[in-house]
Amino acid sequence: MKTISLIDVASYMPRQVVDNDFFSSGDDESVHAMFRGVKHRHHVSADESAVYMIDQASRRLAEKLNLNLATDVDILITNVTCPDMPFTGCGATVAHTLGCRPKWILDIHNGGCVSFIQMISHAQSLMTCHNLKTALLCNVQNAAGRIFSSPENRVRKQARIPGDGCGVGYFVANDESPVKSVVHRNFGEYADDMAIIRDDGARWWEPSMHAGYIDFSETKIADIMARANRIVPEVIFEACRQAELPVCEIDTLITNQPNRIFLRNWREALQTPKENHVQTFERHGNLFGAALPICIEEAMSTGQLKNRSNLVLGGFSHAGDLAASAVIRWRPA
Amino acid sequence: MQSLQLAIDDLPGVRRIENCTKEEMTGLVMEMTHAVYPHDQIYGQYCTIQSYVECPPEKAFEYLSDVYTLQEWTFSMRNFSPTDDPGLVAAIDRIGGETEIYTRTIANRAAMTVDYHCAWDQGEKLWMIYLMRVVPAELTLNKPGCVILWTNCRHPFYNENPYPEKAPANRKVWVGDMWPFFYAGHQIELENLKHILEYRHANGLPMTVGDLR
Repeated sequence: MKTISLIDVASYMPRQVVDNDFFSSGDDESVHAMFRGVKHRHHVSADESAVYMIDQASRRLAEKLNLNLATDVDILITNVTCPDMPFTGCGATVAHTLGCRPKWILDIHNGGCVSFIQMISHAQSLMTCHNLKTALLCNVQNAAGRIFSSPENRVRKQARIPGDGCGVGYFVANDESPVKSVVHRNFGEYADDMAIIRDDGARWWEPSMHAGYIDFSETKIADIMARANRIVPEVIFEACRQAELPVCEIDTLITNQPNRIFLRNWREALQTPKENHVQTFERHGNLFGAALPICIEEAMSTGQLKNRSNLVLGGFSHAGDLAASAVIRWRPA
Repeated sequence: MQSLQLAIDDLPGVRRIENCTKEEMTGLVMEMTHAVYPHDQIYGQYCTIQSYVECPPEKAFEYLSDVYTLQEWTFSMRNFSPTDDPGLVAAIDRIGGETEIYTRTIANRAAMTVDYHCAWDQGEKLWMIYLMRVVPAELTLNKPGCVILWTNCRHPFYNENPYPEKAPANRKVWVGDMWPFFYAGHQIELENLKHILEYRHANGLPMTVGDLR
């Protein structure tokens, strides 16, 4: 495999910031422990499509890195929670809007909250097999504004948790900030524990007067919690082992941020100090797959992520059907 | 009954379906469920361990009830002998060099509990108490054999020897200094117990040893 490096990230956060008064129970203390701890989150508006968000974030990134988008993107990969168009995905439109001429465009759908890590693997494979040099990886989370802001859904207890945002990362086949290991583990047995529900039983493509929403099987909550407590630290330990990095030497830990209890438990399991676990849960909510690139930018802008440090990404998707982790040696030179 | 129930639900810290919704309860248990727990939080004040043993519960109880079997399955209790006080047995705990250890065994056949009341250096105040219970695996695990439960509570004397004058001269260790290793040490001894019980049962050997002198 070619060595590939994370060069930089950029984000776009939707204009609209929503505080807790928007939801049925404004008082954070009165809500279930699992759904507590978010003060603000962003919601996409109707004019903020996934394409628009990726375009905005990518232009910022291109400006930071002085990229020529027409020539400097060989591979374009996107993951969008709630796609603009379910059949086609948005990668081709993004390429057109940005003026890119990628050799490969992939819209991946199953990586969920760790799709950024999954996209790193795809980028590395494509660079290796097709002798390509550059990749733009794009995560959009837009289910908060598109799904959980409707009058029918915003009264649901989980509605306050999701928050929208877009993060993009630029990878190059060099050893500037090398990816030292990537580990994926698939658990197909958990795939059906999360579903899109409509209260009349209609499936998402069927006509219905009810809004759809994402929910977890009530009877499986304890099991989902136990598996998330287990599979995320396990996969991070394995990625660290493959990178020959003792877990006590993780300088920056970034995970997906589904709720504050998982954040606490993963940090404790890895014995990572709180200040080394970078997250924006309180002001962004659950950013799904966009959490990783957005929090990398957070770690860079706050100065937490320093040169020559060990950046570790990890997390799980949906109800646990995929756990993944990656170790990146940040700017060692 | 009604008034008693109201009083119970008003007690601070009491949470029952009457004064705590199922939703609140789920929230509480999620909050309390971590991926890992510091050793001290689990074993700091109490040390409870357990093991499945492929040996009928009655035979395990019989073995544990015989105080002299302690010289087989414990790591360091040796040289047992009766004392003038009926039921009180003296031995040497070699983990403390030449330290004398006194043991009185209180067994209850109906409950299948065997409690060893022990102390280092003197036999008047037996404050190191090893609480053992044998549970039929047929009932609890739906298979033959038994489960042995073992609990120690951190008596304040573990933190400070109350009878320093009775210790052998020049002894540097105190039994309570090893409390942080109780989980591991007892686990090893419980493994000993399991292997010995399974061996004795599988080979039809007697389940008591008696005074070996």
